[in-house]
Amino acid sequence: MAGPKASSTAARPASSSSAGDSSAIQSLWRTYNDTTPSRLKLVDCFLVFLMLSGIAQFLYCILVTNFPFNAFLAGFGSCVGQFVLTASLRAQVNPENRAEFKEVSPERAFADFALGSIVLHFFVFNFLG
Amino acid sequence: MFRIWRVLLLVLSLAILSYARSSTGSSVLVVLDPSLSKDNYSIFFKGLEEQGYELTFRAPKDVAPAIIQDGIASFAHVILFTPETKTYAKDITPQSLVDLLSQNTNVILALGSKQTPLTSLASEFSLILPPPGTPLISHFPERDTPATVIPIPVSSSSPALTSGLAPVWYSGIPFALGNNPLLVPFLNAPAESFAADTTEDSGADALVDAAEKGGEGLWAGKDMSVVTGFQTVDGGRVLFVGGVELFNDEFAKKEVTKGVRSGNAQFAREMAAWTFQESLVLRIDDSAHHKVNETEPRDKYTTNDRIVYTTHISKYNPATNAWEPFSGLTDVQLEFTMLDPHIRTALPPVPSKPGEYSVTFRVPDRHGVFKFVVDYKRKGWTHLHSSTTVPVVPPRHDEYPRFLSAAWPYYVGAISTSAGFVLFSVLWLAGDDRDQRKKKGVKAE
Repeated sequence: MAGPKASSTAARPASSSSAGDSSAIQSLWRTYNDTTPSRLKLVDCFLVFLMLSGIAQFLYCILVTNFPFNAFLAGFGSCVGQFVLTASLRAQVNPENRAEFKEVSPERAFADFALGSIVLHFFVFNFLG
Repeated sequence: MFRIWRVLLLVLSLAILSYARSSTGSSVLVVLDPSLSKDNYSIFFKGLEEQGYELTFRAPKDVAPAIIQDGIASFAHVILFTPETKTYAKDITPQSLVDLLSQNTNVILALGSKQTPLTSLASEFSLILPPPGTPLISHFPERDTPATVIPIPVSSSSPALTSGLAPVWYSGIPFALGNNPLLVPFLNAPAESFAADTTEDSGADALVDAAEKGGEGLWAGKDMSVVTGFQTVDGGRVLFVGGVELFNDEFAKKEVTKGVRSGNAQFAREMAAWTFQESLVLRIDDSAHHKVNETEPRDKYTTNDRIVYTTHISKYNPATNAWEPFSGLTDVQLEFTMLDPHIRTALPPVPSKPGEYSVTFRVPDRHGVFKFVVDYKRKGWTHLHSSTTVPVVPPRHDEYPRFLSAAWPYYVGAISTSAGFVLFSVLWLAGDDRDQRKKKGVKAE
Protein backbone atom coordinates (compact mmCIF):
# COMPACT_ATOMS: atom_id res chain seq x y z
CA MET A 1 0.00 0.00 0.00
CA ALA A 2 2.85 2.34 0.82
CA GLY A 3 4.70 1.36 -2.34
CA PRO A 4 2.46 2.97 -4.97
CA LYS A 5 2.02 6.18 -2.93
CA ALA A 6 5.77 6.57 -2.54
CA SER A 7 6.26 6.08 -6.28
CA SER A 8 3.54 8.62 -7.03
CA THR A 9 5.25 11.27 -4.86
CA ALA A 10 8.59 10.49 -6.52
CA ALA A 11 6.97 11.06 -9.89
CA ARG A 12 6.04 14.66 -9.00
CA PRO A 13 8.07 17.57 -10.43
CA ALA A 14 11.29 18.29 -8.55
CA SER A 15 10.47 22.02 -8.18
CA SER A 16 8.10 21.35 -5.25
CA SER A 17 10.38 18.82 -3.52
CA SER A 18 9.94 20.23 0.01
CA ALA A 19 6.19 20.04 -0.30
CA GLY A 20 6.65 16.53 -1.68
CA ASP A 21 8.85 15.55 1.29
CA SER A 22 6.34 16.78 3.84
CA SER A 23 3.54 15.00 2.12
CA ALA A 24 5.71 11.88 1.99
CA ILE A 25 6.22 12.04 5.74
CA GLN A 26 2.51 12.67 6.24
CA SER A 27 1.58 9.71 4.09
CA LEU A 28 4.17 7.55 5.84
CA TRP A 29 2.66 8.52 9.21
CA ARG A 30 -0.87 7.88 7.98
CA THR A 31 0.07 4.50 6.57
CA TYR A 32 1.84 3.61 9.80
CA ASN A 33 -1.25 4.55 11.81
CA ASP A 34 -3.53 2.64 9.55
CA THR A 35 -1.64 -0.57 8.99
CA THR A 36 0.41 -1.20 12.15
CA PRO A 37 -1.21 -3.47 14.75
CA SER A 38 -1.74 -1.76 18.12
CA ARG A 39 0.66 -4.18 19.87
CA LEU A 40 3.47 -3.13 17.55
CA LYS A 41 2.58 0.51 18.25
CA LEU A 42 2.94 -0.25 21.94
CA VAL A 43 6.35 -1.79 21.22
CA ASP A 44 7.34 1.27 19.18
CA CYS A 45 6.29 3.61 22.02
CA PHE A 46 8.55 1.70 24.38
CA LEU A 47 11.41 1.78 21.87
CA VAL A 48 11.10 5.56 21.47
CA PHE A 49 11.07 6.00 25.24
CA LEU A 50 14.21 3.84 25.61
CA MET A 51 15.95 5.77 22.84
CA LEU A 52 15.17 9.15 24.42
CA SER A 53 16.25 7.92 27.85
CA GLY A 54 19.52 6.60 26.42
CA ILE A 55 20.20 9.86 24.56
CA ALA A 56 19.48 11.89 27.71
CA GLN A 57 21.93 9.82 29.77
CA PHE A 58 24.59 9.97 27.09
CA LEU A 59 24.29 13.78 26.87
CA TYR A 60 24.46 14.05 30.67
CA CYS A 61 27.60 11.92 30.64
CA ILE A 62 29.27 14.04 27.95
CA LEU A 63 28.12 17.48 29.09
CA VAL A 64 27.97 17.18 32.91
CA THR A 65 29.88 14.29 34.38
CA ASN A 66 30.80 10.69 33.70
CA PHE A 67 31.36 10.10 37.42
CA PRO A 68 30.52 7.52 38.71
CA PHE A 69 31.26 5.77 35.45
CA ASN A 70 29.82 2.42 36.54
CA ALA A 71 26.45 4.10 37.10
CA PHE A 72 26.58 5.57 33.61
CA LEU A 73 27.45 2.18 32.12
CA ALA A 74 24.60 0.54 34.02
CA GLY A 75 22.00 3.17 33.13
CA PHE A 76 23.02 3.53 29.51
CA GLY A 77 23.52 -0.24 29.16
CA SER A 78 20.05 -0.95 30.52
CA CYS A 79 18.56 1.33 27.85
CA VAL A 80 20.58 -0.23 25.02
CA GLY A 81 19.98 -3.79 26.25
CA GLN A 82 16.27 -3.25 26.72
CA PHE A 83 16.10 -1.62 23.27
CA VAL A 84 17.75 -4.65 21.63
CA LEU A 85 15.47 -7.11 23.44
CA THR A 86 12.37 -5.10 22.59
CA ALA A 87 13.41 -4.75 18.95
CA SER A 88 13.89 -8.52 18.78
CA LEU A 89 10.43 -8.99 20.25
CA ARG A 90 8.99 -6.64 17.64
CA ALA A 91 10.69 -8.56 14.81
CA GLN A 92 9.40 -11.87 16.09
CA VAL A 93 5.76 -10.88 16.69
CA ASN A 94 5.38 -8.77 13.54
CA PRO A 95 2.75 -10.58 11.41
CA GLU A 96 4.70 -9.66 8.25
CA ASN A 97 7.69 -11.72 9.50
CA ARG A 98 5.60 -14.77 10.31
CA ALA A 99 7.16 -16.65 7.42
CA GLU A 100 10.60 -16.11 8.88
CA PHE A 101 9.77 -17.10 12.50
CA LYS A 102 7.51 -20.04 11.80
CA GLU A 103 8.53 -22.05 14.85
CA VAL A 104 8.42 -19.02 17.25
CA SER A 105 4.95 -18.26 18.50
CA PRO A 106 4.24 -14.72 19.84
CA GLU A 107 3.84 -16.19 23.34
CA ARG A 108 7.22 -17.87 23.13
CA ALA A 109 8.75 -14.61 21.83
CA PHE A 110 7.32 -12.67 24.77
CA ALA A 111 8.55 -15.25 27.26
CA ASP A 112 12.07 -14.99 25.79
CA PHE A 113 11.82 -11.22 25.97
CA ALA A 114 10.64 -11.22 29.60
CA LEU A 115 13.33 -13.65 30.75
CA GLY A 116 16.07 -11.74 28.93
CA SER A 117 14.87 -8.44 30.41
CA ILE A 118 14.79 -9.80 33.95
CA VAL A 119 18.35 -11.11 33.63
CA LEU A 120 19.41 -7.75 32.15
CA HIS A 121 17.88 -5.77 35.00
CA PHE A 122 19.49 -8.06 37.54
CA PHE A 123 22.92 -7.21 36.16
CA VAL A 124 22.08 -3.52 35.74
CA PHE A 125 21.09 -3.06 39.36
CA ASN A 126 24.13 -4.98 40.53
CA PHE A 127 26.35 -2.73 38.52
CA LEU A 128 24.59 0.53 39.32
CA GLY A 129 26.43 0.97 42.66
CA MET B 1 95.63 33.79 99.05
CA PHE B 2 95.37 35.14 95.49
CA ARG B 3 96.93 31.92 94.19
CA ILE B 4 94.30 29.76 95.89
CA TRP B 5 91.52 31.82 94.36
CA ARG B 6 93.07 31.42 90.94
CA VAL B 7 93.34 27.66 91.33
CA LEU B 8 89.77 27.43 92.57
CA LEU B 9 88.56 29.49 89.64
CA LEU B 10 90.48 27.29 87.23
CA VAL B 11 89.05 24.11 88.75
CA LEU B 12 85.56 25.56 88.60
CA SER B 13 85.90 26.59 84.97
CA LEU B 14 87.36 23.17 84.14
CA ALA B 15 84.46 21.46 85.87
CA ILE B 16 81.98 23.48 83.81
CA LEU B 17 83.83 23.07 80.55
CA SER B 18 84.84 19.45 80.94
CA TYR B 19 81.35 18.38 79.94
CA ALA B 20 81.59 20.18 76.66
CA ARG B 21 82.45 17.42 74.27
CA SER B 22 81.85 16.16 70.81
CA SER B 23 78.89 13.98 69.95
CA THR B 24 81.19 11.29 68.58
CA GLY B 25 83.98 10.98 71.16
CA SER B 26 86.71 12.88 72.93
CA SER B 27 89.96 11.24 71.80
CA VAL B 28 92.02 13.38 69.42
CA LEU B 29 95.19 12.48 67.59
CA VAL B 30 97.35 15.48 66.67
CA VAL B 31 99.89 14.78 63.97
CA LEU B 32 102.35 17.66 64.30
CA ASP B 33 105.14 18.40 61.88
CA PRO B 34 108.54 18.46 63.67
CA SER B 35 109.11 21.98 62.33
CA LEU B 36 106.10 23.22 64.30
CA SER B 37 106.34 23.62 68.06
CA LYS B 38 103.46 22.47 70.23
CA ASP B 39 103.97 25.53 72.41
CA ASN B 40 103.24 27.89 69.51
CA TYR B 41 99.72 26.45 69.31
CA SER B 42 99.10 26.30 73.05
CA ILE B 43 95.96 28.47 72.99
CA PHE B 44 94.25 26.17 70.48
CA PHE B 45 95.38 22.90 72.08
CA LYS B 46 94.75 24.08 75.68
CA GLY B 47 91.30 25.21 74.61
CA LEU B 48 90.55 21.73 73.30
CA GLU B 49 91.87 20.08 76.48
CA GLU B 50 89.78 22.38 78.62
CA GLN B 51 86.78 21.32 76.56
CA GLY B 52 87.42 17.76 77.66
CA TYR B 53 89.29 16.41 74.64
CA GLU B 54 92.18 14.02 75.26
CA LEU B 55 94.97 15.03 72.90
CA THR B 56 97.63 12.57 71.78
CA PHE B 57 100.58 14.00 69.87
CA ARG B 58 102.77 12.24 67.35
CA ALA B 59 105.10 13.17 64.51
CA PRO B 60 104.19 12.20 60.93
CA LYS B 61 106.90 9.56 60.78
CA ASP B 62 106.16 7.99 64.18
CA VAL B 63 104.81 4.47 63.94
CA ALA B 64 102.60 4.58 67.03
CA PRO B 65 99.86 5.33 67.79
CA ALA B 66 98.38 4.34 64.45
CA ILE B 67 95.34 6.26 63.21
CA ILE B 68 93.72 3.03 62.02
CA GLN B 69 94.28 -0.24 63.87
CA ASP B 70 93.00 -3.41 62.20
CA GLY B 71 90.65 -1.37 60.02
CA ILE B 72 89.09 0.43 62.98
CA ALA B 73 89.76 4.10 63.69
CA SER B 74 91.73 4.49 66.91
CA PHE B 75 90.69 8.09 67.56
CA ALA B 76 87.46 9.98 67.28
CA HIS B 77 89.15 12.97 65.69
CA VAL B 78 92.43 13.61 63.88
CA ILE B 79 94.25 16.92 63.48
CA LEU B 80 96.92 16.99 60.76
CA PHE B 81 99.12 20.06 61.26
CA THR B 82 101.58 18.87 58.64
CA PRO B 83 101.52 21.46 55.85
CA GLU B 84 105.02 20.72 54.58
CA THR B 85 105.44 17.03 55.35
CA LYS B 86 106.04 14.93 52.27
CA THR B 87 106.60 11.50 53.82
CA TYR B 88 104.44 9.89 56.48
CA ALA B 89 104.49 6.64 58.36
CA LYS B 90 102.72 3.78 56.60
CA ASP B 91 99.40 4.28 58.32
CA ILE B 92 98.80 7.85 57.11
CA THR B 93 97.85 7.85 53.44
CA PRO B 94 95.12 9.71 51.56
CA GLN B 95 93.23 6.41 51.37
CA SER B 96 93.43 5.81 55.11
CA LEU B 97 92.14 9.35 55.74
CA VAL B 98 89.17 8.67 53.46
CA ASP B 99 88.62 5.42 55.39
CA LEU B 100 88.61 7.43 58.61
CA LEU B 101 85.96 9.79 57.25
CA SER B 102 83.76 6.90 56.21
CA GLN B 103 83.97 5.64 59.82
CA ASN B 104 82.54 8.94 61.06
CA THR B 105 85.94 10.18 62.24
CA ASN B 106 86.55 13.89 61.82
CA VAL B 107 89.72 15.39 60.40
CA ILE B 108 91.27 18.87 60.40
CA LEU B 109 93.79 19.25 57.58
CA ALA B 110 96.23 22.14 57.30
CA LEU B 111 97.53 22.65 53.77
CA GLY B 112 100.63 24.53 52.74
CA SER B 113 102.10 26.03 49.61
CA LYS B 114 104.24 22.95 48.98
CA GLN B 115 103.16 19.89 47.02
CA THR B 116 102.40 17.10 49.55
CA PRO B 117 100.22 14.00 49.65
CA LEU B 118 97.54 16.11 51.34
CA THR B 119 97.27 18.50 48.38
CA SER B 120 96.42 15.59 46.11
CA LEU B 121 93.85 14.49 48.69
CA ALA B 122 92.29 17.97 48.67
CA SER B 123 91.55 17.73 44.96
CA GLU B 124 89.51 14.58 45.67
CA PHE B 125 87.24 16.79 47.79
CA SER B 126 86.63 19.24 44.90
CA LEU B 127 89.15 21.77 46.18
CA ILE B 128 91.25 23.23 43.36
CA LEU B 129 94.61 24.30 44.72
CA PRO B 130 96.83 26.94 43.08
CA PRO B 131 100.25 25.96 41.71
CA PRO B 132 102.81 25.17 44.44
CA GLY B 133 104.56 28.12 46.01
CA THR B 134 101.85 30.72 45.41
CA PRO B 135 100.53 31.99 48.76
CA LEU B 136 97.65 34.42 49.14
CA ILE B 137 98.75 38.06 48.92
CA SER B 138 96.88 41.25 49.63
CA HIS B 139 98.15 44.82 49.82
CA PHE B 140 94.94 46.01 51.46
CA PRO B 141 94.28 47.25 54.07
CA GLU B 142 97.47 49.18 54.75
CA ARG B 143 99.31 47.57 57.67
CA ASP B 144 102.74 46.83 59.06
CA THR B 145 102.74 43.08 58.36
CA PRO B 146 104.10 41.39 55.20
CA ALA B 147 101.72 41.19 52.23
CA THR B 148 101.20 37.47 52.87
CA VAL B 149 99.78 38.05 56.37
CA ILE B 150 96.25 39.24 55.79
CA PRO B 151 93.39 40.18 58.12
CA ILE B 152 90.25 38.53 56.71
CA PRO B 153 86.84 39.73 57.90
CA VAL B 154 84.56 36.86 58.91
CA SER B 155 81.23 36.84 57.15
CA SER B 156 78.63 35.36 59.49
CA SER B 157 76.70 33.47 56.79
CA SER B 158 77.32 30.06 58.37
CA PRO B 159 75.38 29.21 61.56
CA ALA B 160 78.51 27.45 62.83
CA LEU B 161 80.16 30.83 63.39
CA THR B 162 79.25 33.50 65.91
CA SER B 163 78.24 36.70 64.20
CA GLY B 164 80.30 39.79 64.88
CA LEU B 165 83.61 37.94 65.07
CA ALA B 166 86.69 40.15 64.75
CA PRO B 167 88.77 39.74 61.54
CA VAL B 168 91.06 36.74 61.42
CA TRP B 169 94.79 36.88 60.65
CA TYR B 170 95.62 34.52 57.84
CA SER B 171 98.75 33.39 56.07
CA GLY B 172 98.64 30.56 53.56
CA ILE B 173 97.21 29.47 50.25
CA PRO B 174 93.74 30.05 48.83
CA PHE B 175 91.78 27.42 46.91
CA ALA B 176 88.99 27.49 44.40
CA LEU B 177 85.91 25.39 45.12
CA GLY B 178 84.44 22.86 42.74
CA ASN B 179 80.68 22.47 42.52
CA ASN B 180 80.47 19.64 45.05
CA PRO B 181 77.33 20.27 47.17
CA LEU B 182 78.96 18.69 50.24
CA LEU B 183 81.46 21.55 50.52
CA VAL B 184 80.82 24.09 53.29
CA PRO B 185 82.89 27.25 52.77
CA PHE B 186 83.51 29.06 56.07
CA LEU B 187 86.05 31.77 55.30
CA ASN B 188 86.56 33.33 51.86
CA ALA B 189 89.56 35.29 50.70
CA PRO B 190 89.18 39.11 50.63
CA ALA B 191 88.12 40.62 47.32
CA GLU B 192 91.48 42.44 46.86
CA SER B 193 93.63 39.36 47.47
CA PHE B 194 95.31 37.15 44.89
CA ALA B 195 97.71 34.23 44.79
CA ALA B 196 101.18 34.98 43.44
CA ASP B 197 104.64 33.51 43.70
CA THR B 198 106.32 36.81 44.55
CA THR B 199 105.64 39.95 46.50
CA GLU B 200 108.27 41.85 44.52
CA ASP B 201 107.24 44.60 42.15
CA SER B 202 109.00 42.79 39.28
CA GLY B 203 106.03 40.40 38.99
CA ALA B 204 103.49 43.19 39.08
CA ASP B 205 103.38 43.75 35.31
CA ALA B 206 102.19 40.18 34.70
CA LEU B 207 99.47 40.69 37.32
CA VAL B 208 98.32 43.94 35.73
CA ASP B 209 98.20 42.27 32.31
CA ALA B 210 96.14 39.40 33.70
CA ALA B 211 93.79 41.78 35.50
CA GLU B 212 93.20 43.75 32.28
CA LYS B 213 92.24 40.53 30.51
CA GLY B 214 89.38 40.14 32.96
CA GLY B 215 91.38 38.17 35.51
CA GLU B 216 92.21 35.35 33.13
CA GLY B 217 94.67 32.93 34.69
CA LEU B 218 94.68 34.89 37.92
CA TRP B 219 93.94 33.31 41.29
CA ALA B 220 92.13 36.26 42.81
CA GLY B 221 88.98 37.52 44.40
CA LYS B 222 86.44 36.65 47.04
CA ASP B 223 85.20 33.46 45.39
CA MET B 224 88.36 31.74 46.60
CA SER B 225 88.13 30.09 49.98
CA VAL B 226 90.76 29.72 52.68
CA VAL B 227 88.83 27.65 55.24
CA THR B 228 86.37 25.11 53.88
CA GLY B 229 84.59 22.18 55.46
CA PHE B 230 83.37 19.03 53.78
CA GLN B 231 80.72 16.77 55.24
CA THR B 232 80.66 13.26 53.81
CA VAL B 233 77.44 11.46 53.04
CA ASP B 234 78.03 9.27 56.10
CA GLY B 235 78.39 12.30 58.38
CA GLY B 236 82.14 12.48 58.86
CA ARG B 237 83.47 16.03 58.72
CA VAL B 238 86.76 17.30 57.37
CA LEU B 239 88.11 20.85 57.54
CA PHE B 240 90.62 22.15 55.02
CA VAL B 241 92.64 25.16 56.17
CA GLY B 242 94.99 26.83 53.71
CA GLY B 243 97.53 27.86 56.36
CA VAL B 244 98.34 26.33 59.74
CA GLU B 245 99.35 29.73 61.16
CA LEU B 246 95.66 30.52 61.55
CA PHE B 247 95.73 28.43 64.74
CA ASN B 248 98.95 29.69 66.30
CA ASP B 249 99.34 31.84 69.42
CA GLU B 250 101.02 34.73 67.64
CA PHE B 251 98.04 35.35 65.37
CA ALA B 252 95.58 34.76 68.23
CA LYS B 253 97.21 37.49 70.32
CA LYS B 254 97.89 39.87 67.45
CA GLU B 255 95.75 42.98 67.26
CA VAL B 256 93.73 43.59 64.10
CA THR B 257 93.24 47.26 64.80
CA LYS B 258 94.41 49.17 67.82
CA GLY B 259 92.89 47.66 70.94
CA VAL B 260 90.95 44.94 69.08
CA ARG B 261 92.32 41.43 69.32
CA SER B 262 91.99 39.20 66.30
CA GLY B 263 89.19 36.63 66.15
CA ASN B 264 91.62 33.76 65.53
CA ALA B 265 91.24 32.01 68.89
CA GLN B 266 87.45 31.95 68.78
CA PHE B 267 87.35 31.22 65.05
CA ALA B 268 89.67 28.23 65.50
CA ARG B 269 87.61 27.03 68.47
CA GLU B 270 84.35 27.26 66.52
CA MET B 271 85.83 25.58 63.46
CA ALA B 272 87.06 22.72 65.66
CA ALA B 273 83.61 22.55 67.25
CA TRP B 274 82.01 22.18 63.83
CA THR B 275 84.55 19.65 62.60
CA PHE B 276 84.41 17.57 65.78
CA GLN B 277 80.60 17.39 65.50
CA GLU B 278 79.76 19.61 68.44
CA SER B 279 77.78 22.23 66.55
CA LEU B 280 75.09 21.84 63.88
CA VAL B 281 74.63 18.19 64.77
CA LEU B 282 71.09 16.88 64.36
CA ARG B 283 69.39 13.53 64.52
CA ILE B 284 65.92 12.13 63.96
CA ASP B 285 64.77 10.45 67.17
CA ASP B 286 61.69 8.75 65.80
CA SER B 287 58.97 9.14 63.24
CA ALA B 288 55.39 7.94 63.31
CA HIS B 289 52.30 8.03 61.13
CA HIS B 290 48.62 7.39 61.68
CA LYS B 291 45.22 8.25 60.27
CA VAL B 292 43.51 11.45 61.39
CA ASN B 293 41.47 10.79 64.57
CA GLU B 294 43.47 7.65 65.34
CA THR B 295 46.67 7.15 67.33
CA GLU B 296 48.11 3.82 66.18
CA PRO B 297 49.89 3.39 62.84
CA ARG B 298 48.15 1.18 60.30
CA ASP B 299 49.67 -1.68 58.35
CA LYS B 300 48.35 -0.10 55.19
CA TYR B 301 46.43 2.96 54.13
CA THR B 302 43.62 3.43 51.66
CA THR B 303 43.81 5.92 48.80
CA ASN B 304 42.52 9.36 49.77
CA ASP B 305 42.93 8.70 53.52
CA ARG B 306 44.00 11.69 55.57
CA ILE B 307 47.27 10.86 57.38
CA VAL B 308 49.24 12.59 60.14
CA TYR B 309 53.03 12.21 59.92
CA THR B 310 55.07 13.17 62.97
CA THR B 311 58.81 13.18 63.54
CA HIS B 312 61.03 14.26 66.43
CA ILE B 313 64.35 15.99 65.74
CA SER B 314 67.07 16.55 68.34
CA LYS B 315 70.12 18.74 68.28
CA TYR B 316 73.31 17.94 70.14
CA ASN B 317 74.13 20.41 72.88
CA PRO B 318 77.89 20.30 73.62
CA ALA B 319 77.46 22.40 76.77
CA THR B 320 75.45 19.67 78.50
CA ASN B 321 76.74 16.75 76.42
CA ALA B 322 73.12 15.80 75.67
CA TRP B 323 70.62 15.64 72.86
CA GLU B 324 67.89 18.23 73.19
CA PRO B 325 64.62 18.56 71.25
CA PHE B 326 65.11 21.11 68.50
CA SER B 327 62.32 23.06 66.86
CA GLY B 328 64.49 25.57 65.01
CA LEU B 329 64.26 24.03 61.54
CA THR B 330 61.72 25.81 59.36
CA ASP B 331 62.47 24.24 55.98
CA VAL B 332 62.05 20.52 56.60
CA GLN B 333 60.06 18.75 53.91
CA LEU B 334 58.20 15.46 53.85
CA GLU B 335 57.91 13.49 50.64
CA PHE B 336 55.40 10.71 50.01
CA THR B 337 57.08 8.81 47.22
CA MET B 338 56.47 5.90 44.90
CA LEU B 339 59.53 6.20 42.61
CA ASP B 340 58.71 9.92 42.34
CA PRO B 341 57.43 12.06 45.18
CA HIS B 342 53.65 12.13 44.70
CA ILE B 343 53.43 14.62 47.55
CA ARG B 344 56.13 17.00 48.74
CA THR B 345 54.99 19.15 51.62
CA ALA B 346 56.47 21.33 54.33
CA LEU B 347 56.99 19.58 57.68
CA PRO B 348 56.67 22.48 60.11
CA PRO B 349 57.54 22.38 63.82
CA VAL B 350 54.58 22.03 66.19
CA PRO B 351 54.60 25.28 68.23
CA SER B 352 53.66 23.83 71.61
CA LYS B 353 55.81 20.68 71.52
CA PRO B 354 59.61 21.08 71.39
CA GLY B 355 61.35 18.99 68.76
CA GLU B 356 58.14 17.77 67.16
CA TYR B 357 57.42 18.27 63.47
CA SER B 358 54.06 17.25 62.11
CA VAL B 359 51.96 17.52 58.98
CA THR B 360 48.55 16.26 57.89
CA PHE B 361 48.01 15.40 54.26
CA ARG B 362 45.76 13.40 51.95
CA VAL B 363 47.10 10.21 50.41
CA PRO B 364 47.07 10.52 46.61
CA ASP B 365 44.45 8.68 44.58
CA ARG B 366 47.00 6.07 43.59
CA HIS B 367 47.70 2.68 45.09
CA GLY B 368 51.12 1.07 45.46
CA VAL B 369 54.05 0.84 47.86
CA PHE B 370 54.79 4.35 49.12
CA LYS B 371 57.52 5.75 51.36
CA PHE B 372 57.48 8.60 53.84
CA VAL B 373 60.82 10.29 53.16
CA VAL B 374 62.38 13.07 55.21
CA ASP B 375 65.58 14.12 53.47
CA TYR B 376 67.13 17.20 55.04
CA LYS B 377 70.51 18.19 53.65
CA ARG B 378 71.73 21.68 54.40
CA LYS B 379 75.25 23.02 54.16
CA GLY B 380 77.03 22.57 57.48
CA TRP B 381 74.21 20.69 59.21
CA THR B 382 74.15 16.96 59.74
CA HIS B 383 72.26 15.27 56.94
CA LEU B 384 68.95 13.88 58.12
CA HIS B 385 67.36 11.00 56.28
CA SER B 386 64.40 8.91 57.32
CA SER B 387 62.39 6.55 55.17
CA THR B 388 59.32 4.52 56.19
CA THR B 389 57.67 2.15 53.74
CA VAL B 390 53.89 1.80 53.80
CA PRO B 391 51.51 0.18 51.29
CA VAL B 392 48.55 2.15 49.95
CA VAL B 393 45.63 0.03 48.75
CA PRO B 394 42.44 0.92 46.87
CA PRO B 395 39.18 0.87 48.88
CA ARG B 396 37.53 -2.50 49.56
CA HIS B 397 34.45 -3.30 47.48
CA ASP B 398 32.12 -2.02 50.22
CA GLU B 399 34.11 1.14 50.97
CA TYR B 400 33.21 3.10 47.86
CA PRO B 401 30.72 5.98 48.27
CA ARG B 402 27.16 5.19 47.20
CA PHE B 403 24.07 7.15 46.08
CA LEU B 404 26.06 10.08 44.79
CA SER B 405 23.96 13.05 43.74
CA ALA B 406 25.81 13.26 40.42
CA ALA B 407 24.67 9.73 39.56
CA TRP B 408 20.92 10.29 40.02
CA PRO B 409 20.23 10.70 36.25
CA TYR B 410 21.72 7.25 35.73
CA TYR B 411 19.74 5.77 38.62
CA VAL B 412 16.54 7.34 37.24
CA GLY B 413 17.41 5.99 33.77
CA ALA B 414 17.88 2.44 35.03
CA ILE B 415 14.80 2.53 37.29
CA SER B 416 12.61 4.03 34.56
CA THR B 417 13.73 1.30 32.14
CA SER B 418 12.69 -1.36 34.66
CA ALA B 419 9.40 0.41 35.37
CA GLY B 420 8.86 0.78 31.63
CA PHE B 421 9.50 -2.92 31.18
CA VAL B 422 6.94 -3.80 33.86
CA LEU B 423 4.39 -1.37 32.43
CA PHE B 424 5.03 -2.65 28.91
CA SER B 425 4.61 -6.25 30.03
CA VAL B 426 1.33 -5.43 31.76
CA LEU B 427 -0.01 -3.60 28.72
CA TRP B 428 1.17 -6.35 26.40
CA LEU B 429 -0.47 -9.08 28.41
CA ALA B 430 -3.61 -7.01 28.90
CA GLY B 431 -3.78 -6.23 25.19
CA ASP B 432 -3.14 -9.82 24.25
CA ASP B 433 -6.70 -11.16 24.58
CA ARG B 434 -8.29 -8.21 22.93
CA ASP B 435 -5.99 -8.47 19.96
CA GLN B 436 -6.57 -12.20 19.62
CA ARG B 437 -10.30 -11.70 19.94
CA LYS B 438 -10.11 -9.05 17.24
CA LYS B 439 -8.10 -11.37 15.07
CA LYS B 440 -10.53 -14.18 15.75
CA GLY B 441 -13.40 -11.88 14.94
CA VAL B 442 -11.73 -10.86 11.71
CA LYS B 443 -11.11 -14.49 10.90
CA ALA B 444 -14.68 -15.41 11.82
CA GLU B 445 -16.03 -12.78 9.48
